[in-house]
Amino acid sequence: MLETEELKKVFKGKTAVEGASLYLDKGESVGLLGPNGAGKSTTISMISTLLKPTSGDVRLNGKSVIKNPSEMRRVLGVVPQEIALYGELTAYENLKFFGRIYGLSGKALETAIQRSLELVGLMERQKEIVKTYSGGMKRRVNIAAAMMHEPEVIIMDEPTVGIDPQSRSHILEMVRQLNQEKGLTVLYTSHYMEEVERLCDRVYIMDHGKIIASGTKEELKSILSSEETVWIELDRPYPEFFKELQSFEMIKQATETEKGIKLILPKGSRVLGKVFQASERHQVQIINVNVQTPSLEDVFLHLTGRKLRD
Amino acid sequence: MKSVFLLQWQRFRRAPVMMLSFLVMTIIFVALLAGNNPAERSAILTYADASLSAPEAEDWVASLNEAGEFKFQLMDENEVREAVAAGDAPLALRLMEGNYRIVLAADDMSRFVLEAFLNRKYREELRFQQVEQQTAGSDIRTEVAALMEEPPLQIVTATLDGKEEFRYDNQLQLLFGMTLFFSVYTIMFSLMKIVEEKKYGTWDRLILSPVGKWEIYLGHLAYSFTIGYFQIVLIFVLFKYVFNFDVGDRFGAILLIIACYTFAIVALSMLVMSLVSRPQQLQAVVPIIATGMAMIGGAFWPIELVNSNMLLAISKILPITYGLDALKGVAIYDRSWQELSEPISILLLYGVVCMGIGINLMERRNY
Ligand SMILES: Nc1ncnc2c1ncn2[C@@H]1O[C@H](COP(=O)(O)OP(=O)(O)OP(=O)(O)O)[C@@H](O)[C@H]1O
Ligand SMILES: [Mg+2]
Repeated sequence: MLETEELKKVFKGKTAVEGASLYLDKGESVGLLGPNGAGKSTTISMISTLLKPTSGDVRLNGKSVIKNPSEMRRVLGVVPQEIALYGELTAYENLKFFGRIYGLSGKALETAIQRSLELVGLMERQKEIVKTYSGGMKRRVNIAAAMMHEPEVIIMDEPTVGIDPQSRSHILEMVRQLNQEKGLTVLYTSHYMEEVERLCDRVYIMDHGKIIASGTKEELKSILSSEETVWIELDRPYPEFFKELQSFEMIKQATETEKGIKLILPKGSRVLGKVFQASERHQVQIINVNVQTPSLEDVFLHLTGRKLRD
Repeated sequence: MKSVFLLQWQRFRRAPVMMLSFLVMTIIFVALLAGNNPAERSAILTYADASLSAPEAEDWVASLNEAGEFKFQLMDENEVREAVAAGDAPLALRLMEGNYRIVLAADDMSRFVLEAFLNRKYREELRFQQVEQQTAGSDIRTEVAALMEEPPLQIVTATLDGKEEFRYDNQLQLLFGMTLFFSVYTIMFSLMKIVEEKKYGTWDRLILSPVGKWEIYLGHLAYSFTIGYFQIVLIFVLFKYVFNFDVGDRFGAILLIIACYTFAIVALSMLVMSLVSRPQQLQAVVPIIATGMAMIGGAFWPIELVNSNMLLAISKILPITYGLDALKGVAIYDRSWQELSEPISILLLYGVVCMGIGINLMERRNY
């Protein structure tokens, strides 16, 4: 229902986003993943009609929204990366105002406020001044404010940055519910892999303003599926054993680590049996063996050579 | 527009201290300083130094007192110095041959007025003396005095901007100057909410809502105008009815002038907001603008005392100059509507231009 075509944004000669094409089907939950400064917020601003693209197009149900943003604004709820609230007012007053500007009043307004507050779990503390809330509570009100007009599509820009685990899991669970039970279309931005892995069906990975990979979680991981990583934990270093492993044809890479040895193997290779035989010969005491399947983090590392977060 | 406007009042009620402090400060400043009206003030203590003989000094004082603007009292030097040192007199005058000095205990605004007066008198007197030296024997003073009684040419000055002879009213100067000065803070800081909304992202929420952009601007501008306008009106009413300041009988005209002035300052604030986009920067910029404008535009001392042509030229582009001019025009000089129309229309034009440029610049900044 929503798609972008070759979005590009240049700020004073500096390209922030380039060639960003992505789409959202109705009811889908899509993740936009990338490190700081990747261009996620800029992309979101362009999709939500807050920022005019330098070139490219954003379409809602096939119609461009750049010239005529009102339809997009009606169906869209945007949770900004910053806490966009009036700090000196209560949560209730904030929501009341944001409902009013969407034309709500009277009973409908009251209902919408209570529905949004319930969604984020802040019913009891709605009459408190927002400034006095914890970071997590502010984030929740920030989400509630975007839900006042019952949007069909919700775009969340890093809604869990810098908050306590409790608020975080509440928000994640809420997003999951909105998507799976209420059928909302979700675009979820984050630089936390785990969140995107947990919430999203499909993922776009952004870096340096470009989308460097996209697909379902499985598709993305299959990029790495030709390899697997094996950690062997040992009671002490065994240099002879390590030397022998290095000579194995089938082992792509062997590294000595603090606690043992890390091996990178082609997927499905039967080399582990030989590794154990060698360990018998050298009388090596193995404490633990761990075969690791790739995470999105590994995918990112593989694609960019960098970690997602430092 | 209504909800944006009302929201600002709701926010004001939660954190009113800063805005109210400008109101309170104006009242305190005017009430404290307005006591020193030179018209009601005790005589200016005067002594002559060795370069003048006693009769000469007496002549000088008599001639200075003739004008009736100030009362000078000739005394012994030691007495005068003691009085100034003890703080009984804020300033004193030392007469010298063809010159004078003002002895100040603390800087005092009325000094400027006194200085302007003395300058004028001395220049006149020295010119007489020069003429007397060159045309020895003829009594130029009596001749001039006689001529002034029956002038051969009668020149009636009626300039467009109605510059009558400068009349100094310390109370009104303070009231108008301080009120217009502090209102700049109130208006600019209240309009700063726009910049804050942009910074904190609530502006984007407003833009995404069905509320039109012009309604958002209008809501903020209306709030800023209202709070500024009521601050000024409240202070004027207070000083007119409680402190019995004589602001003339045309309070309606004063209300109109305040409205035009407030509009011009709101528009100027819009321009400033469009140029300075960060709240912290504005915290520094607003006082500079307010104080600079007040100093040059004549809010701290009467603009009539300023001699520098450059400063006078700058004052011509400041709305506060026209606001003060129009207010004094009504309250002190009782000018006609026709005469008042000039500063009023300049204020309105100023407002329209600043508003246009300001909103345009701010909109352009977005992309
Ligand atoms: N208004 C702007 N003017 C100039 N440069 C900008 C502007 N907004 C963003 N940028 C630049 O564009 C790049 C992308 O920024 P963006 O905020 O989209 O990244 P992000 O992926 O959201 O990062 P983060 O995780 O830190 O939020 C950054 O290098 C940023 O400095
Ligand atoms: Mg961002």
